[in-house]
Amino acid sequence: MDYSFGFVATLFGAACVAGFLGALLGVGGGIFIVPTLVLWFHLPMKIAIAASAVSVIATSNAGGSSYVEHRITNLRVSMFLEMFTTFGALSGAVLALYLNEHVIQLVFAAMLAYMAWAAFSTRNLDDERIASGAYANATPDRISKWLDLRGSYHDEAAKRDVDYVVSGAPIGAGISYVAGIASGLLGVGGGVLKVSAMNGYMNIPMKAAVGTSKLMIGVTAAVSSMLFFVAGLVHFIVVGPVAVGTTAGATAGTLVMNRLESRWLKWIFAALMAYLAFEMGRSGIRGARG
Amino acid sequence: MKTQDNVYRVVHRVLHGGMIASTVLFVIGIGAALRRRQHVPLDAAWIRGHYRLSSIGHGIVTMDATTIMMIATALMILTPAARVLVSIWAFWVDRDRKFVVVTSIVALIMMATLVLAGAGLT
Repeated sequence: MDYSFGFVATLFGAACVAGFLGALLGVGGGIFIVPTLVLWFHLPMKIAIAASAVSVIATSNAGGSSYVEHRITNLRVSMFLEMFTTFGALSGAVLALYLNEHVIQLVFAAMLAYMAWAAFSTRNLDDERIASGAYANATPDRISKWLDLRGSYHDEAAKRDVDYVVSGAPIGAGISYVAGIASGLLGVGGGVLKVSAMNGYMNIPMKAAVGTSKLMIGVTAAVSSMLFFVAGLVHFIVVGPVAVGTTAGATAGTLVMNRLESRWLKWIFAALMAYLAFEMGRSGIRGARG
Repeated sequence: MKTQDNVYRVVHRVLHGGMIASTVLFVIGIGAALRRRQHVPLDAAWIRGHYRLSSIGHGIVTMDATTIMMIATALMILTPAARVLVSIWAFWVDRDRKFVVVTSIVALIMMATLVLAGAGLT
């Protein structure tokens, strides 16, 4: 591979887009980075996946740092769910030895399609609940009450502080575990499922879910990146422009996210999930047919 | 609800510091790589050849692009792990015992994954 200005500039540009969308939606952005490296630059798949894993950390460090500073991230919720998602990633890596990857892809595709529909059909609900203060009036489940899982952030689009009480911690934990399996087994989809779990089932407003997921994805990506690093698959010359690009894109994305109305975030989020479901389903069907 | 100011401040500092340090090193490394415009092999053996301490020392002295970006990558990868570890300390300082336990479990699972991977399970 020849290291040229064109190579660095293209990689930087693609990573900027991935970092920006990642910060906006609380996801890693690997679905943009891996095809760019494989299809445009013809890099081996394993090197592309390893570079993508490091880029997820870059976007998590940049986005997470900003969201933590502005208190959009809920640190207690992130620590609670990280227990399940890291255990899920470990389970996913072990399950990969025994399960048919294509069957798993089809299961996840169905799950993502359902969640895409759920996000789309509730696209106006977030803004309505923020306006009516409904997020603050939920009844916490026993775990959320015991761990004091609640929070507050300033919504720049709604121009008000949004208080919320977490409920549905067991189902959130279950979906986070599945999200960890998705990351460990398939390398994608972890952030999408975490945001869906928090917003759809745990009474956490979309923006707080995005900020919390942004922080969480760094931990799972760090574990897989360490494994890739030891195996000699992290190609530092490739990772450089990808990491700087995702950091720049994520920094810009964090400036925009809190100014958008939640319904626009949900539109983009539903579209991304539908795309992921389609790609995962297509890959699963192709693989099952042999 | 506890204020958690201490935990938020510490986590922000670690993430921000890790991001700035690794980005600066990456930019220096990219500049050095573009100046030399070398042909770079894509195999794992070539990458692992940079892991020796002597290569790292020599790479730092000669401003070798790969070595600088390797250090930047290591810093970046270690940042989330460091964030988890300092959170345990911050929750401990806040006397938030439940979350000292919760965060310690996260750290233990991270370590278990690495140990199992090292043993060739993954």
